[in-house]
Amino acid sequence: MDQQAIWAIGIFLVIYALIISEKVHRTIVAMIGGLLMVALGIVDQETAIHHIDFNTLGLLIGMMIIVSITAETGLFRFIAVWAAKKSKGKPVHILISLLLITAVCSAFLDNVTTVLLMVPVTLSITRQLRISPYPFLITQIMASNIGGTATLIGDPPNIMIGSAAKELTFLAFITNLGPIAFIILAVNIPIFVLLFRKQMIVKPELTKVIMEMDAKELITEHKMLYKCLSVLALTMLGFFLHQALHLESATVALAGGFLLLLMTGEHRMEEAFTKVEWATIFFFVGLFVLVSGLIETGVIESLAEHAIEVTDGNPVAASMLILWLSAIASAFLDNIPFVATMIPMIQDMGSMGVSNLEPLWWSLALGACLGGNGTLIGASANLIVAQLSGKEGYPIKFMSYFKYGFPLMLLSIAISSVYIYVRYLI
Amino acid sequence: MKLKYTYSPLIIELKETPNEGDVEFEVQIKEDRYWPAMKSVQRFFEENEVYTDVLFYPFENHKFRIIVREDHYAAFILVLMKHQLVQKVEWV
Repeated sequence: MDQQAIWAIGIFLVIYALIISEKVHRTIVAMIGGLLMVALGIVDQETAIHHIDFNTLGLLIGMMIIVSITAETGLFRFIAVWAAKKSKGKPVHILISLLLITAVCSAFLDNVTTVLLMVPVTLSITRQLRISPYPFLITQIMASNIGGTATLIGDPPNIMIGSAAKELTFLAFITNLGPIAFIILAVNIPIFVLLFRKQMIVKPELTKVIMEMDAKELITEHKMLYKCLSVLALTMLGFFLHQALHLESATVALAGGFLLLLMTGEHRMEEAFTKVEWATIFFFVGLFVLVSGLIETGVIESLAEHAIEVTDGNPVAASMLILWLSAIASAFLDNIPFVATMIPMIQDMGSMGVSNLEPLWWSLALGACLGGNGTLIGASANLIVAQLSGKEGYPIKFMSYFKYGFPLMLLSIAISSVYIYVRYLI
Repeated sequence: MKLKYTYSPLIIELKETPNEGDVEFEVQIKEDRYWPAMKSVQRFFEENEVYTDVLFYPFENHKFRIIVREDHYAAFILVLMKHQLVQKVEWV
C-alpha cells in the first residue's frame, strides 16, 4: 500500500469519526475531508469534480424545490385531517392512516421533508384528542424509512445507488423494492397496534370534534395547489419514463422544480431556494470527494478483493453480508457516507468478475434504508422527529425508541433476507 | 395579573375554557370582512417556530376551535388585538 493510500485512509477514518461524534456539523467535516484529499494531492481538483455525482445533487435540489412550494398550499395538513376524519376520529385508525400517509409520501418525497410536514399535524391531532403523540411519532419515523425504501427517490441511499448503477431505473426500484417495503409495512402495522393500543383511549366527545372539522379550510392557496399537483404528476411520470426518454432522474426533478417556479412566478424563487437544504447538498459534495480519495488510491479495490475472498465469490454470502452489515452500520452510523463507500466497492466487485450485481445493490439499498429504523440516530428523519417533538415538550429518548426500533429493524432485515434469497438467489 | 379583553359580539364570538395546561377557545367570526383577519392570526401562529403554541381546528360557518398553550395565552390575545378582532386589552 503506497503512502497516498495510507493518507487517504487516515483522512477518511478521522473524518468518519468526526461525523459520528457529531461534535462539529457533518457538512463542515465532510467538506474539510474532501478538501484535504485535494490539498494533499491525493486527488487533483479535476478528478475530484469528476467524482461528484451531480445526478444525486440535482435530484435532491429539484425535489426540495417542488416540495417546499407544495407544502405552502396546506395540502399535507389537508390530507392528514381528511384521513383522521375518514378514520372516524378513532385513534388506532388515525395512527394507521397517518403512518400510511407518511410511508407513501416518503416514497415519493424525501423522508426528512415528509416528517417535517407530518409532525406538526400529528401534534395538532393528538392534542385535540388529548392522547400521547409518542406512538404516532415513533410509527411515523419507522414508516418514513420503510416507505423511503420503495423508490429511487425515497431515501438518499437509493438516490445514490440509482445514480451509480444506471441499469437500476426508477421503475426497477419500484418493482424490486416496492413489494418488500409493502410486506414489511404490512407486517409492522399489526405489531404497532398491539404495542400501542393501550395508549389509544379517548373520550367520545373529542373524536366528535375531529369528525366535525372542515378539512377544506386547511388549503390556503387553491390555484397554487393545482399547479403543484400538475407539476408533481408530470415529474412522477417523468421518473417512470426517464430511461425511455434517455433522461437522468436529476433532469426530470430539476425540470419539474423550475417548471413550477415558472408557473408560480419568480417571487417564489428566492424563498424556494432558501428552503433547499444546502447543508445536505454540500455534505454529499464533501463525501463524494472524500471517497474519491479511497477510489483513486486503490483502497476500495482492495476492499472489494477482500470482500470477494471472504465470501468466496458466493452471491448468497455476499448479499447477506452486505444486507446485514449495511443494516447494523446504518442503525448506528450515518447511512449516507456508508453507502458512498459501499457503492464503488460493489462496482469493483463487478469488474472483478462477480457477474450478477443486482442482489448486491438491492441488499445495500434495503440494509441502508431499513437499518435506519434501528436507533434514534439511524436516519436523518429520526433525528428531525426527535428534535421537533423535543422542542414541543415531547422528548423521545434514545432507549425508549430503541426498544421498539431495534427489534422491528431486525425483523424487517430478516424478512428482507428471505426476499433477496427467494427472488434473486435461488 | 390577568389579561382582560373585550370584543364586539357583532364581529366575533369568543368563549374560553381552561383544559389541562391549555386554554381552549371556541371562536366564530360573525362578519365576513373580518374573516381574512382571523386567517392572518392563524397564519401567524402556523408559520412561527413553535408548532404547539396555538393550534387551529377549522369548522364550517367561520368557526374555529383553538387550543392555546397557557404560556402563549397573552401572545394569542395580542395578535387578535393586532388584527382588530379584540378591541381592548388590559392587565387586571
